[in-house]
Amino acid sequence: MAPGIALSSADRRVWLIIGAIIFAGLVTIPLSQQVFGLRLTYTVRVVALGGSILGVISGVLGCFAVLRQESLLGDALSHAALPGVAIAFLLAGRELSVLLIGAGIASWLGLRMVAAILNTTRIKQDTALGIVLVSWFAAGIALLAYIQAIPDASQAGLDHFIFGQAAAIIERDVTLVSGVGLAVLLFIALFWKEFKLVTFDAEFAGANGFRVGLINTVLSTLIVITIVLGLQLAGVILMVGMLIAPGIAARQWTHKLDQMVILAAVFGAFSGGVGAVISALDSDIPTGPMIIVVAFGLVLLSITLAPERGLLWRRLSQRANRRRFAAQNTLRDIYRYALSHGGADSLAPADFIRGVGDRSAELGLRQLRAAGQAAPGDGGWRLTESGIQQARQIARNERLWDMYRLYAHELELPILQEVRQVDIASVLPAAAVKQLESKLQEVDDSA
Amino acid sequence: MMLLERGLIEFLLSIVTREELNAFLRSPQNTATLVGALIAVCGALLGTFLLLRGMSLTSDAISHTVLLGIVVAFLLMTETFGLEGDTSSPWLILGASLAGVATVVLTEMLYRSGLVKQDAALGLAFPLLFAIAVILVSRFVDDVHLDEDAVLVGEIGLAWANTNSHCFDHCESVTITPDHPAAKQTRQCVNCRELGISPRDEGAEFRRICSNCGDYTPAQAYRAGLLEREPLLVFFPKSITVMLLMTALTLVFVLLFFKELKLSTFDPGLAQALGLRPGWLNYGLMILVSLVAVGAFDAVGSILVIAFFIVPPAAAYLLTDRLSLMLFASPLIGAAGAVFGYDLARGQLFGVLPVSAGIAALNRLFGLELVERWDSSISASMVLMIFALFLLAWVFSPRYGLLSTMIRRANRRRRFADQVVLAHIHNHQHTALHKTECRMDTLHRHFRWRRGRMQRVMARLRALGYVRVVAGIAELTARGDRQVHAFRQTMLEANNMPDLE
Repeated sequence: MAPGIALSSADRRVWLIIGAIIFAGLVTIPLSQQVFGLRLTYTVRVVALGGSILGVISGVLGCFAVLRQESLLGDALSHAALPGVAIAFLLAGRELSVLLIGAGIASWLGLRMVAAILNTTRIKQDTALGIVLVSWFAAGIALLAYIQAIPDASQAGLDHFIFGQAAAIIERDVTLVSGVGLAVLLFIALFWKEFKLVTFDAEFAGANGFRVGLINTVLSTLIVITIVLGLQLAGVILMVGMLIAPGIAARQWTHKLDQMVILAAVFGAFSGGVGAVISALDSDIPTGPMIIVVAFGLVLLSITLAPERGLLWRRLSQRANRRRFAAQNTLRDIYRYALSHGGADSLAPADFIRGVGDRSAELGLRQLRAAGQAAPGDGGWRLTESGIQQARQIARNERLWDMYRLYAHELELPILQEVRQVDIASVLPAAAVKQLESKLQEVDDSA
Repeated sequence: MMLLERGLIEFLLSIVTREELNAFLRSPQNTATLVGALIAVCGALLGTFLLLRGMSLTSDAISHTVLLGIVVAFLLMTETFGLEGDTSSPWLILGASLAGVATVVLTEMLYRSGLVKQDAALGLAFPLLFAIAVILVSRFVDDVHLDEDAVLVGEIGLAWANTNSHCFDHCESVTITPDHPAAKQTRQCVNCRELGISPRDEGAEFRRICSNCGDYTPAQAYRAGLLEREPLLVFFPKSITVMLLMTALTLVFVLLFFKELKLSTFDPGLAQALGLRPGWLNYGLMILVSLVAVGAFDAVGSILVIAFFIVPPAAAYLLTDRLSLMLFASPLIGAAGAVFGYDLARGQLFGVLPVSAGIAALNRLFGLELVERWDSSISASMVLMIFALFLLAWVFSPRYGLLSTMIRRANRRRRFADQVVLAHIHNHQHTALHKTECRMDTLHRHFRWRRGRMQRVMARLRALGYVRVVAGIAELTARGDRQVHAFRQTMLEANNMPDLE
């Protein structure tokens, strides 16, 4: 298999999933109308649009948070935004952009506080995050309680920032979110190389003269901006889920950052839009939690179904491998025992075979019997003529693998994954196999 | 539970009178402070071990999932079994704690699968469980004790009002039957609603009912005027009982397993090798954290409770290196935070500074129009005060504080400056270059220092009697000479070098 073909099949897979998700998203619209009787009013459309746009932004930034293992930082920063909302309200009243700026400043101060605790004390990161998370959050709650005690109607809806409320979103908010979000995405596109490098290999980036500290700060600030944009929809407590869930889901399908980011954006758009629509069905369902549930559904699907990494895939491939190699391994076990107990056609006790081969022994014996390579008798198993032939071949193959392990470097052979049950001639060029055979001859002669 | 409470009250009544006890417990401040302090003690003791094991955020994990446990158990209780919803019921506490432990196990499984990193597993699982819990609460639960606000901040201010009553004397429970002289008989129309007629219309059929029949506890009977003598009653807040029980459990666990906890915290490998089963101990710790989180849910909600686990131990960690001292200091810090926190919620910072004065000052300074009356959430204020104590520890800790670190660094810089200047004079004072190298007015240039700095250093050295100035040239005194030699000696010994002089 040439590497070019393998890559494009992975690419095709990613595009297929993107198509499927977009299709599912489009299907949701008539489905929600027909089955749940949702009327796509102007409000619902605005909310769904806002949810999708936020999903795209948080999906993209969330990829970096996930890859840099900063998920919990996201958690702390989103909780930390709350006092900013309250203070901004006290100072300037209920104007969304002002509230969000306040949230951003509070969250950013939380970030600096975590860094300060880490730099000047021996407290470890998780504790520092916990301290900032809960203290900032408590400050926010205390300020909100103070605001609610003020006899004035205009504070209504401020507590929507805690759990998020879709109904509170109006068209102007969506415009604001789209504008800022577009700027954030453009920034990511412009400094793509820098962000990618710092995310995967900060030391290498530093050695090549990139200003790692600055790039880290910029990336963290972008994450803060994303969190702040999502507050109105997802709320401070659950924003972290919206940030990282699409990234985690996307990570399962691909090994390439650009594909992961695109996938995460699509996943984010799907969960944001669909979650917002579902919560619009019933005024008792807060939006933030619903989006999280949808996003987690995608994560669950991904870690189960994703090829190569997914749980189901791994389970199936393990099983296929066990089936594929059961007969071969059992044959080898019997042959070895027989050789050391009087000759290739002597009897190997059934208990020994089961003891060595574990669960696959039974399967192997069945397969060997069907192929006429081994036959039961006298409480054990004996190899037939064709079985002995086959066993010799397997033994030789394994010795060639031994030679490969010892001399592959010296003979400049291509690097292979060692699956010793596989016929080495099927994975190495004929010339290379010749070289290994002559090596084997040398070793046998000198012995 | 009731029995425990009764025993406790009998003990308390041997110290104080009934009136005093009731008056104490009926004050919202006393009860709230007591409950807060108990939560702080449990949280700080367990949190100390969590912090040292690098598991602080596990309490965050557990508190989020415990909420789901509480909500599900609550729904089961009210909807399926038709019981009265009560978040301090032992069944609910047990079920919810199991949910907490189960989640910790599940998260571990999730990241052991290798598909998701540990932080991502945490960051994913807790919002999800919390989200489900919030959806359930806002969609299906219609109860004053379990709404979104209670989830966030609890209702520690109302802890005094949710009580069990215990009767100690004149305890006559009254049962009123229709024959009882105090029974109030009325009649009720049985078919009015059905036929859509009023009781005055013809065809209405009546039956006699007794409006106040039923069983009365002594307290209810006295209130309804059915008893002549006032029963001796004590009203005991449920939260205090629950938290006292949790504190007792925590104390027993920590005292009983102190050695094992200590060893498995600092050297899990050795603990395993000695057969101490650190795995089981870990689960014990998780169960207790869950129990405390559930017990504290009524009072402080499910998010703020993590402050009681994380912040006091972190503050204590900055103050001391000894585990035993940490275990004393962190409950104290937490409890002090709870005490000051109540005052803060009622507008007093540390019990002396009125918050309203601060807001007034802000208003004056920046021309704002903020309301000056400060009346805020008690549980959030407790957390803020605990955080304030953490900040104090951070700044003023004798060993690890910002201030002491600064002073230590300044001292070290000063000592270093003294030593290089002394060494410079020592090297040159008996050579031909003495007059050019050690002239007071040019000395700073040899070090590339500013003149002011050199003047300060020289003033100090002369005051210490290490250096004297003769005709504008610095030279060492006998004492300064000894100082240089002593310093040389320690440096040579530290580096294992022979003295060549």
